[in-house]
Amino acid sequence: MPPGKDYYAILGVPRNATPEQLRRAFREAALRLHPDKNIAPGETELFLEVSKAYETLIDPDSRAAYDAELAALEADLAASSPFKCEILHSREALLRLDEPQVHYLILDIHGSEDLPEVRPPINLSIVIDRSTSMKGQRLDQVRSAVLTILRDLQPEDTASIVAFSDKAEVVVSSTQAKDLATARARLSLLQAGGGTEIAQGLSLGLEELHRSFAKEGVSHLVLLTDGRTYGDEDLCLQLAEQAMQSGITINCVGIGSDWSDRFLDDISSRTGGRVIFLNSPKAVTDLLHRIYEELSKVVVNRVRLDGSMGQQVDLRTAFKLHPEPMPLGDSFPMALGNLPKNSSIRVLLEMVVHPIIGQDEVVLTHLAVEGTLVAQKGDVHSLPLDITRTLTSEPDTKPPPEEIASALNLLALHRLQEKARHEAELGQVAQAARRLESLATQLLAAGEKDLAKAALNEAVQLAQSRRLSTEGEKTLKYGTRALLLLPPRRET
Amino acid sequence: MIECPNCKHREFVGTLFCSECGTRLIHVTPVPTMSISREELTEEARATRPSPPTGPELSSGAIIGLRVIPTGEVLSLIGRENFTLGRSSEGQAVVPDIDLNRYDAYDYGISRMHAELRIGDDTIQVVDLDSSNGTIVNGKRLDPLKPEPLRHGDILQLGRLRLQIISRQKSHPR
Repeated sequence: MPPGKDYYAILGVPRNATPEQLRRAFREAALRLHPDKNIAPGETELFLEVSKAYETLIDPDSRAAYDAELAALEADLAASSPFKCEILHSREALLRLDEPQVHYLILDIHGSEDLPEVRPPINLSIVIDRSTSMKGQRLDQVRSAVLTILRDLQPEDTASIVAFSDKAEVVVSSTQAKDLATARARLSLLQAGGGTEIAQGLSLGLEELHRSFAKEGVSHLVLLTDGRTYGDEDLCLQLAEQAMQSGITINCVGIGSDWSDRFLDDISSRTGGRVIFLNSPKAVTDLLHRIYEELSKVVVNRVRLDGSMGQQVDLRTAFKLHPEPMPLGDSFPMALGNLPKNSSIRVLLEMVVHPIIGQDEVVLTHLAVEGTLVAQKGDVHSLPLDITRTLTSEPDTKPPPEEIASALNLLALHRLQEKARHEAELGQVAQAARRLESLATQLLAAGEKDLAKAALNEAVQLAQSRRLSTEGEKTLKYGTRALLLLPPRRET
Repeated sequence: MIECPNCKHREFVGTLFCSECGTRLIHVTPVPTMSISREELTEEARATRPSPPTGPELSSGAIIGLRVIPTGEVLSLIGRENFTLGRSSEGQAVVPDIDLNRYDAYDYGISRMHAELRIGDDTIQVVDLDSSNGTIVNGKRLDPLKPEPLRHGDILQLGRLRLQIISRQKSHPR
């Protein structure tokens, strides 16, 4: 279906919009686009489309006919889509209840079998924090790690190195990166000193990426930092938003324990990237290589999940489980990042379904998975997903699929950690310590000895100093988050 | 709703893991909504009312304290008729009598000189000292510099930090 043909999208309303919603959307669009006032060319055509959409949908008969036509078109689209999506439900059917109930979904998005495997050209920018705290081993390790990446660069790839403190500069431009001797000399001039203003670094890094931007390639920014930024957080988030719009993913690497994890999470999740906690700077070489390796395997990029929830349904949480665990926020569109070949993107959705009266079926959500095939110069493909469930009066005794149960089990541990941290921040020390002890027991039961020990240490730390240690906080947060990556046990 | 067999926390039907304690909630059947009579509720409220505090005594014979709600600590108010509440900061000439700095006063939005408690023979009053984020008693925002009487159990909110007044007249020896 050509993108301009979806009447619901033209009016900006969900598929199950009420006549009232349609009327409101039409009125709003009409005010904006009415031929009497419009100036921009093309808007009259748009207004005619909006009127057509409204007239079709407001009449129940023509809406039913249109819905059938739309369903057929979408079925065609799904059949020809370059990616597929499997859906797992926590329950076969929902209960007829006069109280809210919870339902879970796992979406498993993967490429179709005949997807061409082409190594995409990589457009990489590494943005290095060179504030005073990076002095010594941290900056040395980062410098040598960056050099090994430049050495392995393929001829079709481009890379640039940006450093920032209170201001940012390009240390190695994409042309200099091709000449290893120059790059080495330029990198040796990199000295630590000054504050941390992340927005400066991000902005210049993105500018460098746009310089050698190619639609069929994969553009990625790695931010390496060990500190907090002050006052420019909003600007950073705006930059992340812009990066997402142009299909650039941002991975944030926090070195040591004094960086703000919530802020970096916020930046990365907006772009479909991830946050990596590096306790010691030694691992940075391996990490950069892993990121580079992953980028070379991307078959679909700019993967996004867009759509709306059903009328009686609220989205509670969305969590990406694979290829890297990352919270996704609670509003559409969600940036899912890149789909690697022979792999999948898995998303867990938790929703609350409010009481439904007089229906045998509930529309949970209308979603569309969108993505750009790297082999086909920026062709955007879309896979519509209309997810519905029937309602029954008989409770379902069948256990939920093991994949959902194990993912939720680990997510529950991750949440316990979040709760304990929240309580510690509110000064509810005793409560937080109890929660950490319970978390430690469950981690031990899951065979995670080191994390269990970290949780116990933090419980002791709390009793002594009334706060968690910044290092322990991050060890537990990223440790329990990483558990979610456990290979899913496939049902056979 | 369903109830967690481990910690009795209630969750929506269909929830698989308790959000309080992480216990798996499989084969837990929904609990019917119970109706509780008003008497039972009053009874429960009476049972959970804060127990009379123990602590230092004023010359008037009253026992007065201030419970810091986030931590549960009780600060005793003894030896003076006026207590200023606030947070000290470096280089400040006048420091408050009760320095709330160790309860993260800054994050809670407490001014350096936020409010004053005035303790009389049988009254307690609070006065907001024209603080930036204001003082709220039992949900009511105070006008600056206007005294407001307080009673046992009242909730006093400075900025976002909540405190509870604890006071009891000493029982006269028989």
